Amino acid sequence: MKRYFRELSVLGALAAVLVGMAIFAPAFFSPQPLLSLLTREAPTLVVACGMACVIITRQIDISVGSMFSVCSVCAGLLAARGWPLLLVLPASVALGALLGAVNGLLVAGLRLPSIVVTLATMVTLRQGLNLVRQGEFVNLPDRIQWFGLSQMAGQLVLVGASVVFLVALALAMRHVAAGRFVYAVGTDAEAARLAGIRPQLVTFLVFIFIGALTGLAAMMNLAQSPQVQPLSGAGLELKVIAAVVVGGVAISGGRGNLWGAFTGLLLLACVSPALIHLHIEAYWEKAIQGAIILLAVVADGLRARGLNR
Amino acid sequence: MSVSPGTKNPRDWKALLTRHEMLLLYVLIAEWLFFYFAGTTTNRRGVVVGFGTLDRQFDILRHSCEIGLLALALTPVIITAGIDLSIGSLLGLCAILFGKLWHDGGLTIPVAAGLTLALGALAGGINASLITALRLPPLIVTLGTYSLFRGLAEAITHGAITYTDFPASFLFVGQERWLGLPTQAWVFLGVALGVGLLVHRTTFGRAFRTIGFSPEGARYAGLPVARRLALVYVLAGLIAAIAAIIYTARLGQAKADAGTGYELFAITAVVLGGTSIFGGTGSVHGTLLGVAAIAVLKNGLACLPVVMRMNAAEEMSGLLTGALLLLALTASVLPKILSRFRTRHHAPAL
Amino acid sequence: MSPAPLLALRQLVKNYGGVRALRGVDFDLQAGEVHALLGENGAGKSTLIKVITGAHQPNGGTLTLAGQRVANLTPSTARALGIACIYQQPALFPDLTVAENLALRLEATSASSRIDWPARRARAEQWLARLGAEISPEAEVRSLSMPEQQLVEIACALGAGARIVIMDEPTASLTQKEQRLLFAVVRDLRKNGVGVIYISHRLEEIFALADRVTVLRDGQSVGTHAVGDIDEAGLIRLMVGREVAQIYPAAESTPGHRVALSLRAVGCRASGVHNVSFEVRSGEIFGLGGLVGAGRTELARILFGLTPADSGEITLHGQRLTLRSPQAAVAQGIAYVPEDRRRHGVVLELPIAHNLTMAIHRRFFPTTWLRFGAERALALDFIRDLAVKCAGPDAPGGSLSGGNQQKVSLARWLATKPKLLILDEPTQGVDVGAKSEIHKIIRRLAKEGLAVILISSDLPEVIGMSDRIGVMGGGTLRAILPGGSAPHDVMAAALGTTEKGSV
Repeated sequence: MKRYFRELSVLGALAAVLVGMAIFAPAFFSPQPLLSLLTREAPTLVVACGMACVIITRQIDISVGSMFSVCSVCAGLLAARGWPLLLVLPASVALGALLGAVNGLLVAGLRLPSIVVTLATMVTLRQGLNLVRQGEFVNLPDRIQWFGLSQMAGQLVLVGASVVFLVALALAMRHVAAGRFVYAVGTDAEAARLAGIRPQLVTFLVFIFIGALTGLAAMMNLAQSPQVQPLSGAGLELKVIAAVVVGGVAISGGRGNLWGAFTGLLLLACVSPALIHLHIEAYWEKAIQGAIILLAVVADGLRARGLNR
Repeated sequence: MSVSPGTKNPRDWKALLTRHEMLLLYVLIAEWLFFYFAGTTTNRRGVVVGFGTLDRQFDILRHSCEIGLLALALTPVIITAGIDLSIGSLLGLCAILFGKLWHDGGLTIPVAAGLTLALGALAGGINASLITALRLPPLIVTLGTYSLFRGLAEAITHGAITYTDFPASFLFVGQERWLGLPTQAWVFLGVALGVGLLVHRTTFGRAFRTIGFSPEGARYAGLPVARRLALVYVLAGLIAAIAAIIYTARLGQAKADAGTGYELFAITAVVLGGTSIFGGTGSVHGTLLGVAAIAVLKNGLACLPVVMRMNAAEEMSGLLTGALLLLALTASVLPKILSRFRTRHHAPAL
Repeated sequence: MSPAPLLALRQLVKNYGGVRALRGVDFDLQAGEVHALLGENGAGKSTLIKVITGAHQPNGGTLTLAGQRVANLTPSTARALGIACIYQQPALFPDLTVAENLALRLEATSASSRIDWPARRARAEQWLARLGAEISPEAEVRSLSMPEQQLVEIACALGAGARIVIMDEPTASLTQKEQRLLFAVVRDLRKNGVGVIYISHRLEEIFALADRVTVLRDGQSVGTHAVGDIDEAGLIRLMVGREVAQIYPAAESTPGHRVALSLRAVGCRASGVHNVSFEVRSGEIFGLGGLVGAGRTELARILFGLTPADSGEITLHGQRLTLRSPQAAVAQGIAYVPEDRRRHGVVLELPIAHNLTMAIHRRFFPTTWLRFGAERALALDFIRDLAVKCAGPDAPGGSLSGGNQQKVSLARWLATKPKLLILDEPTQGVDVGAKSEIHKIIRRLAKEGLAVILISSDLPEVIGMSDRIGVMGGGTLRAILPGGSAPHDVMAAALGTTEKGSV
């Protein structure tokens, strides 16, 4: 119990918000809007899982938003050319992995700070995309949206897939050696090296991993609309980092888990519908997001001080 | 302005730094010459237009003031091995606060400006207190305030309101010339001189460097580490507020998305200027050269006929700036990596 | 003994940049032997361990394991070859549980293998039980005390089925009961044919536990003896390498009668120091002896405001002080030359001149403007005065040798014109020449009336340099002896009457 205090407290906060909504805005719980909300968050959840791994290794990747846009547009163009879904999906994942590998190479190979590296790749990718596409939308063939299923079925597939993925990865992080290597490197890279783990390799692979997941998430987003917006990934990085940090993954590495990240994401996802239902203007969303991030870090900071005393 | 006079040993790190800045200067000159020849044309009426005109040069100066100010704000921060991602958002927030104080608060321009500067310093103080009192990593704290400050600006304006109709006397600061130079350039140069003196000529700057190289070493030398770090972030907030006022004066309007993405250009300018992202080394004159290199690139591209046809100056300059930052970063660690390889190569086999 | 030793080192050399940490070490370890490694701090023991465990590559010499010469030893091959090390500072993963820490060290798992948590827990329980340690396998390591972490380290080594176990100061932070358990474990290992390299400053332990002892001095092995063939005095002679009386400058004056520093029942719960009382007079060198972990550095940190005292009273020249930060301590005229010179004493990247004025910014630059000319002149003065060997005041601190770095660190604090100077291991890792120069400087400062506290693990140094010797142990002052006391008396006091004979 004590070990998961941090995750449980986020769960408590989420429960409080949900109870509050049940009392003041029961309309929130009608099935269709709720399913839509979950569907919208499904791609974010996939990226958040990757971000949790990156932050557990004591790195950060703020280029996910741009990678997401690039993968979306490229996948959309392939689909528009008539590629079958079964080929577009791996292509998008592979492109994401490739972009992630560039970050990984710079961070792990040259030992540059990940924040600056991914800031640079974020802008390079975003502007590169703008340059090539000039903000043009990509129209998708019909069979792509909801994978050619009904909307309801498509939504269920997406939500189901993301939850299955979450559970699989969360279990893998706990029960497969590779997952524990990620924790070991984030806790103490030097001790990991002494234990025979190669920290730079783990870091490199984690960046490839988040890239691939971003490619996957782009596909999951693609299936939700008839068009691809070139700016679809803008701000994704912040949302995802906020979810992960709020969920108790320590920015100093080695601590936290995917269940926490998931709870954090749900909590943040409730902010904007809660604002609407509680008649607070939606312009506050970003400010509230920032405040929640700060609150979470401050809580962690205070807690760390308490532990060291 | 050199770091310290009397450098004789050529292998000194200071000499190395100078070499980096000299290199950047050559690049800047080459860049300028390229755009001068490729970006200057004569139009049908026989008038010279494009990059080579004096007006255009003043334009470059005018447009580089805000990013330049943010880069100046970041230089001491990065010298202490910190980072401040929130300054671009803070620029937006301060612009809105300034507009609101003047427009809705009914204050005069100087009073509103003064209050805005105080609020900017206060916002920097939020970063400072979280970083020093709670010992939180600057990266995540300023990522939080990056979102918070921009969000507050959007909340205040409901994402839509822009403040306009500023008096001409105020717009003079942003749109006219004074003593031959764009007015805001004088502010920029003044801040540059101030930060330059602070970093290179005072005990404060010495403390920043010491903290950047070794925070523990600074503590054991009895330096007030927390106070010096706090100063750096408060100063960054103050300078972001100055940039906000200048931005408002240049565009004649205050809006919530002011300064979006500026933090990247500022960080690029600082790193390009030879300030190490790992802390300790760095100089204000290097930052100025970095700012100039980016500003010339951005404006020069807009003058190239190819780019003009594509109507993609903004994207091109963003792309090149990102690539430039990656190159500068790679170049900055290259000597370390090369020496690692060399020592490995020369180590006798066991 | 058997012809093929478990481990044999011949003429091992290791350089760090310009520093020669090992300059020719011969060492061998037989199966079923406890081989003690002895040497002053900085003699090269830690470096030797790093080479044996594959953490660092040597620059020369040979390393032979069970008759097979090994090149390019890495941490993982070292582990696979049965070498395990219990570090002085446990190299554990603080965020992970005890069970996982054990597993990461013990399981040579491939990245794709599945983790059997119940088995991990059971095995951790088993090894901890064998050590008699009452630690839950589910506990996060960061929540454990130091000795508990140490026991986890030992459990790691045991679990690895190591043939060679290196123990670096294993008892430094253990309680008596835990120590006794540890010794039982070591004897158990020996019986099972494991070779143990046992590093300790506690000579009693070595005589009680070891079969042979090798002494390192200045990065060289200077002799290997069976413990029965040598006594304490002989070992100390080997460690020091010369007669005590020859190397320490004689006191030229007697300390005055004016009390400079006075401590009454000073304590600090956070750092484990309690009830320390003593006085230091002007012109006196007050030595602080004791074993590693006795609380000497912790006491110095209290006096320098790094970990403020929470009980007792500190007065300096009759004035009562509250020292809540280093700045406050500096303002009161207290100077602290720290133990870890490279991390705390000198900022390696900054020029000597900058390092020198670091603690006197306020006084030397009253207007906050830097005065480069004056700074340079001051640096040149100190460089000449303390005979610092360097390229000039602009040379970065990192370009100097250890001894010269130490002089710069010392000069920084002399520039503050302190009333009290605390020196923490001032000659650790310093070559012989610089060492005697530093000793002369300390003498001279005392003669000029400065009150000096000299912390040193180098027994002959404390004895030879101090006017009086305070001996610490277990976080408190155990005895105050006159200068020139017999090493054995100091050692006995350091071990304390309660701990004596427990070995």
